[in-house]
Parts: sequence; structure tokens; C-alpha cells
Amino acid sequence: MVPCPPLTRRRFMQGAAAAGALALIPSPLRRAFAAPAPVLSGTEFALEIGSVPLALNGRQATATGVNGQVPAPILRWREGDTVTLAVTNRLSEPSSIHWHGVRTPSPMDGVPGLSFRGIAPGETFVYRFPVHQSGTYWYHSHSMFQEQTGLYGAIVITPKAGYAQAFDRDYVVLLSDWSFESPETIVSNLKFQSNYYNYGQRTIGTFMADAQHAGLADTVADRLEWGKMRMSPTDILDVSGATYTYLINGQPPGANWTALFRPGERVRLRFINGSSMSIFDVRIDGLPMTVVQADGNDIVPVTVDQFRISVAETYDVIVQPTADRAYTMFAQAEDRTGYARGTLAPRPGMAAAIPPMDPRPMRTMADMGMAGMEHGEMPGMELSPEGKRLEGKVGVDNVAMMPADRLQSAGEGFLSGSRVLTYADLRALKPGSDPRPPTHEITLHLTGNMERFIWGFDGKKFSEAGPIELKRGDRVRFVLINDTMMEHPIHLHGLWSELENGHGEYRPYKHTINVKPGERLSYLVTADAPGRWAFHCHLLYHMETGMFREVHVA
Amino acid sequence: MSARIILAATLFTFAAPASAETPAANAEPTFGMEPGAMPPVMDQAIFAHAIFNQLEGRWNGSNPEFRWDGQGWIGTDYDKLWIKSEGTLSKGALDDGQQQFLYSRAVTTYFDLQGGLRSDLDSRPTRNWAAFGVQGLAPYFFDLEVTGFVSGEGHLAGKLEASYDLLLTQRLILQPQIELNLYSKSDPARLVGAGFSDIDTGLRLRYELDRKFAPYIGVVYQGKFGQTANFARQAGESTSDVRFVFGIRTWF
Amino acid sequence: MIARLYRPLVTGLLPVALIACMNSPPSSAEPGAAAPLGIDLGGSGPVIASAQPALSARVIHVEADAASPRHSDIQMAHAGHNDAHGTGTVNSVDPAQHKVNLSHNPIPEIGWPAMTMEFPVAPSIDLTAIKPGTRVNFTIEQQPGGMYEIRAITPAGARQ
Repeated sequence: MVPCPPLTRRRFMQGAAAAGALALIPSPLRRAFAAPAPVLSGTEFALEIGSVPLALNGRQATATGVNGQVPAPILRWREGDTVTLAVTNRLSEPSSIHWHGVRTPSPMDGVPGLSFRGIAPGETFVYRFPVHQSGTYWYHSHSMFQEQTGLYGAIVITPKAGYAQAFDRDYVVLLSDWSFESPETIVSNLKFQSNYYNYGQRTIGTFMADAQHAGLADTVADRLEWGKMRMSPTDILDVSGATYTYLINGQPPGANWTALFRPGERVRLRFINGSSMSIFDVRIDGLPMTVVQADGNDIVPVTVDQFRISVAETYDVIVQPTADRAYTMFAQAEDRTGYARGTLAPRPGMAAAIPPMDPRPMRTMADMGMAGMEHGEMPGMELSPEGKRLEGKVGVDNVAMMPADRLQSAGEGFLSGSRVLTYADLRALKPGSDPRPPTHEITLHLTGNMERFIWGFDGKKFSEAGPIELKRGDRVRFVLINDTMMEHPIHLHGLWSELENGHGEYRPYKHTINVKPGERLSYLVTADAPGRWAFHCHLLYHMETGMFREVHVA
Repeated sequence: MSARIILAATLFTFAAPASAETPAANAEPTFGMEPGAMPPVMDQAIFAHAIFNQLEGRWNGSNPEFRWDGQGWIGTDYDKLWIKSEGTLSKGALDDGQQQFLYSRAVTTYFDLQGGLRSDLDSRPTRNWAAFGVQGLAPYFFDLEVTGFVSGEGHLAGKLEASYDLLLTQRLILQPQIELNLYSKSDPARLVGAGFSDIDTGLRLRYELDRKFAPYIGVVYQGKFGQTANFARQAGESTSDVRFVFGIRTWF
Repeated sequence: MIARLYRPLVTGLLPVALIACMNSPPSSAEPGAAAPLGIDLGGSGPVIASAQPALSARVIHVEADAASPRHSDIQMAHAGHNDAHGTGTVNSVDPAQHKVNLSHNPIPEIGWPAMTMEFPVAPSIDLTAIKPGTRVNFTIEQQPGGMYEIRAITPAGARQ
């Protein structure tokens, strides 16, 4: 390994500026010099999308990478700059790149069919837009399943005015999921047998264990209750560790990806969930984490032991390890079928103990939107008129009878005794920029049919519904009711979603909101950017089977 | 000839609701996008799958039989073309052959409405029927198929199939299964009597080496009733048969 | 001409040298390879002068509630109290089961419409003052397992 001078920030910025200049050197010459650069900085970028050989735990595969890398290079921008990114598609199918959470003019948003036609094979598309925000974001393909096969990377935007909290080191922690099965096979399997990847189902064994614990009558009643609904409380994630290897910055758990620190330093960890279908529960045993940003926006710092990060969300945390030892960064999948793992250590080559995974959670009647109704009793309850309309439709397997406010809950699967982040804890550092109350509400039911693996809004797939129309300047409230028993991270392109979580004008600005099963939540949106914006569940196979809408701001 | 009319009528009945629920065309694109540009998500994709629920040898100590019972479909979430096939190879001849070609339309959360043609194709005289029925997942996770048939001569038939997957472990699954046939009129050439004709029911224990490949063992009971039993006795066949089975449950 | 190329060439090589110095994580993990190291993007530099709010860490505790029969050791995490307030009319009282059936007004705190339903009541509450037909104010709290339990219930003054 090349002996290197200590890489201080000043030196790095010099190199980064020069690397920007490097990008301007004509292409053939540049390729002669450029090693695969994992971090690209400046204002001019050349990104090449292509097939990349990937080896994981001794097994070979072909992934979709950028500049020969999976994950794609970290892009470093500065708030206030205008960035130009020439993206060349060297695949044999159309591609695209969407800058997740970054507010760009609509034609630069990267969604084929809404923003532009996509990038044809061999074509180069030049994105150019001003950057008016700072924080941690990410980018990924918005074409077919390329996001699953490796086209994802981090974006770090330095704030113009400086950071709100001091730190000494800064690492991107990009979590993702990788399968050696093709994504087309995965969705096809789910269409025929939706519990294909669920090896945690109820069996005779679990029946007997429950009967011993809770009594035979209660257990039988419970089985009948779920059986009548034709649902299983063991449905946590549609695609599990049965096919996934969970990665941290592209590394499997055994590779021991390590972030170095000197004891006493403050380390900023930019957690990004760049996976396609996996919700992670993140903790660092022995090290509390102070969450300082959510979805790229500053929040009042809150110290936790654990947080749940859903697909497409980001959380920036600051930790301050004081001991001269290694710490394990542990991100277990919500269904406990696998984990991603990295190490925080003072020196390379160290590792700490990897904790065992927590027990697998189970869905409850609260997740079915029927909290408080045990054993099928429904005293005088009636579905709302829209609920009645949805019931029984091909795309709907459940309508939440009593959707509840669950922002104060972290979710299921956390063991007692630890501090877990909830949405109710997210309080913005600055008050919101639009003080107006909403003039109208748009209510959407998150619906799905697990058995047929169809997902949508209000019982309809994207191809069966029209766009949601907003006028430029509108201040509107989106109300989401999750009629399904799975979490859905709902992402609105182009506009901020101000989650109404009880903090009034200090409500957090998010781009991706994880709606829990049986939950009813709301957020305010100012339609200040014209265009055709995508609005969808960020679970890739839900999006591709219909859980997608266009929000048209005219 | 009349069978064809019935078939056409059945298909037409199902074609009508299909067009009534055609997905709304996307609004005219703006921002310089041409009509016909690729949509952001392709949620009308066509999938195809086939499964052999039974692909087994059946032994009762004297003459072994080979039986298959499979289905396949191709289509979208709402509209599928379905093929169902079953038959038993016994003493060198093909028996109990039933092949169905159906159009299937998803109508409720868990059930499809199906209509099409059934053809009894085996070593005995061929019979053709118009078929209509429902298939899906009943409460408490029972797989259910109920189909009614009308022949060209106006004879009726019915078929009920049900099965249940009981998980002993994540991969070891016990499956009780039943198939019942009934006919309105006797068909001596096919050894079929009026009324409840026959039952084929079994208990199969499979081990899923892979979701798509599971060898199994089991025991089946084949019974014939009423007139069907009489025909069978006359032909020197058994009316009640218990057999041990070994086979593969596979899908792709 | 070489002189003119010299400067851009050197400036071009500097980042290459620096980049080569950065221990870039390979896109694959070969068995036996050294642990891939993360790329340090550097420190924050001087922070915004405006007084930062003191790390007002809001400590959330997961309450260890009594095990629900269905969920063995898994509890739902609570962030403090999950309670809501409502008013309603008592329909019936079941002293043996310690339950109360109420017709209550909408409870916007948790998004409930007006409903008639049965609630289990916290063991410490005395139900003798609660008679059918009484108008009551009540507080309910969500338990692990999802059910709402009445934590407080008092007659709502003289109004009947």
C-alpha cells in the first residue's frame, strides 16, 4: 500500500478541487490516469453506467455500476454550486439516474416517463441544476430493477454556512441488499407464491409453543382470527435474507468494512438505506448515537441507542467513541433474516463482537388497523365510505378498521430497555418556511393484495389511475392511511413532505416517510416546483407492481 | 357444433367485463414527451408459471399407476389464460384424463372467475365440455377450485378440488387434498355414472428442498360411487383403492 | 508545447496521487483480503456561530410491559405515553371482567371516529361510581398488543 501523508481536510479539498479539474481533461486521456475513484467532487462530473463484475463471498455476478463501481461513487457537492453531470449509458437497455431528495427542476429529476425519456443505450444525458440544499442524499437508477442490481450511491452536500454540529471524521454508511437471483425472477416468484422468501412462517411447532405459553383456547382463537383474514402475522419483509446478502458500502458482513477514528473524536456517520426492499434496525453496541439530521435536514439532536431506517431514508448521527477499542455497527433486517455489519475502530484489522440478531417480530391486530379488537369482536364499528368501496377489490386484501396515530411508536421488534428513535422525536432545527395552513387535503389509502402481490393506492395500480393534480403555490395536506400490514416508505419527488408529528412549525422536512401498518399520518406539502413528480412506495417491487402515482404541479 | 356455441358464449361473457375494466389511458404527456413513451413503472407485466401438484407413482401392491395433475397460466394481474391437465397412466392405458383450457379473470381479492373448454382426453372416447367456475384461496387458507361443465348434449358435470398446506416445519409440509367429480348423466363408454361419480383424495408429505422442487410421499384413496362403481365392477376394476404414492411437487 | 501541458498534467496527477492514497474499498470482498476501510470525508470545520441548542437529548424508554400472550418477549417500543382523551356515555359495566362499554365522541388525537365499543379498564380504577347512562370523561392508553385500556374515567359533571 502506498504510504500516505495524513489526509487532512485541507489536503483533501485541494485534491478534490483538482479532481474536478481532472474531469475536464478530455475523456481518453482521463481514463488513462483515473483509477476507480470512490469519491467525486466538484461541479463537473462524468458518470458511466455499465455492467460491472461483482464478487461477493466467493460468488461471481454481474451488477449494474457507475464508473465501474458498486456502490456508485460518492458525489460531493457544495450548496450553492451548479452541478453538471454527464451520464453515459453503456448498458444494452435504457437507464436513468434520480437524485433522491435533491430538489432539481423537473426535467432533471431522472424519472423516465415523467421527467424525460430516459437515457437510451449509448446515449449521454447531461444533467445540470443548481444545488440549493445541503445534507446527505443518494442517487439511484429509476429504470426497471437497476437499483436492485447495484446502481445506487451517496450524495454529500456541504452546507454553505457550515455545519450545526462539530465533528472530526465523516463517513458514508450506505446500507443495501444484494441477491444473486435476478430481480425479474424475484418478482415473478412473488407473483406465484407471495410468501416465497418467508421462512419464518407459523408451523405446528409454533402452534404448540404458543399453546404452552398462552393456552390452547387462546392460540386456536388467534390462528382462526388470522386464518379468516387469510393473512399471516409473519409477513415482515417480502424479500428476505433467504436470497439477500446485506451490504454496508457494498461489503458483506464478513468483509468487516471499517471506519477509523481516534479515541475521543466525534465521528459523523451518514446512514443511507439504499436497499430495494429491506428495512434495517441500526445500533452500535456500546455507543449511543446522536441523530442530527433526517433526510438531509437538521433536527434537534436526539440521542438514541437504536433507530429503524426504512428504504430510501437517511439519518446522520454523531458518535463519540472514547475507548481505544472496536465497535460493531450492526444493521439487522427488520425480519431478522440477516444483517449488514461494519466496524468503528482506532486501527485497521480490529473487530468487535457481532451481537446475535433479535427475535423476529410478529404483526399484531394493531397492524391490521384493528387495535383493541381481539378475537374478532367489532362492537358497532363500521368502515368509512371509502373503506367500504375498497373492500373486496382485486387489489385490496384489508381495510384498516381503525387506523391509528403511531408516530410515537418505534415499531415492533425492539427489545425492552433501549432508546429507539420514533418519528415523534424529529423536531426541525429551524421553523418551516411556509407558515400557511393547508387549503385542502388529499387522502390516499395504501393498499395491497399480498396473495396476488399487487400494490397500489386506493386499490388501484399506477396504470389504473390518473395523476394527482396540484396548482403551483398550493399548500396541501396529504393524509396516508396504511390499509396493509407492511411498512411502506412513501417518497414524493420534487417537493418536501413536512411530517405533522406534533412539533407545529418545527415539523421535520422529509422526502421519504415510512408509514407503519394500520397507521394514519399526515404531512404538509407546498407545491412550489412545477412539473410531473413521481410519488411512490420506495419498496422497489411494490413500486413496479403498481404502488406509484404522478403528482402533477401545474 | 353446439359445444362450440357454448364455448363461444362462455368466452364472450368473460370478455365483456374484461373490457369494461380496461385501465384508464394515461393523460397526454406534457413537457415535450411523445405519446407512447415508456411509462415510469410497468405494472401490467405478463407473468407465466406452471405447477405440478401431483407427479407421482401410485402403488397398491399389484399394478402401479402414474398420475399427474398440473396447471399453468400466463397473463397479467387481471387476465390470464389457464391450462389444467390431469390423467392417470394405468396398465398401459391413459385414464381419467381431463384437460381444461380457460380464460381466468380476477374478480375479488382471492378469487378468479374462469371459463373455457374441458376436454376428456385419454384412452376412452373423448368428451368435450364448456367449463365455468371459480378458483382461489378460501378462508382459513384452503385452496379451492369449483368448476361446472356443460356438454354439447346438455349434460352437466361438476368438479370440486380443495387442498390445504399444513406446515410441520418451514420445509416439511403436510397436504391433505381432495378431488370430487359428479355428472348428471351416465356415460358408460367412459365408465362414468350419474350422480357423485368418484373421489380422489390423498395426504401428501413433502419436503421443500427448494420452493420449486419438493419430493413427497403419501397415501391416496380412489373411490367410485353409485353407477360409476357398478360400471367399474363390470369392467373388472376396483371401486375402492388405497395406494402409497411417491412423487415430486414442482413449479417454475 | 510540453511546457504548456506540464501544469495541467501535474495538477491532474495530484488528485490521482491523493486518490491512490485513499484506501478505497474494493467493490468485492476477496477472502483473506484486508478489511476495506471507509473514506473519511473530513471534519466539519468551524461550525455555525449561532448558539446550538444544548444536546437536548430526548430519552425514550422502551417500557417493559406485561407480556402479551401472543408475543412472548417482543414488546412494542413506546416513546413515553401513548394516551388519548375522550368523552362519552356508558352503556354497560362488567365488574367481573373489569370492562366498560362506551359510546364515545370522535377522538382526534388518535384519529378515531365516534364509536361504540368495549374497553378493558386499568385494575386500579374503581368502577362502582360508573353507572350505565353516565356521561364520562376518560383517558385511554394503548397497550402492547394494540388494545386501548382506560386509565382514568370520571363522571362528566352534572350534565346528563
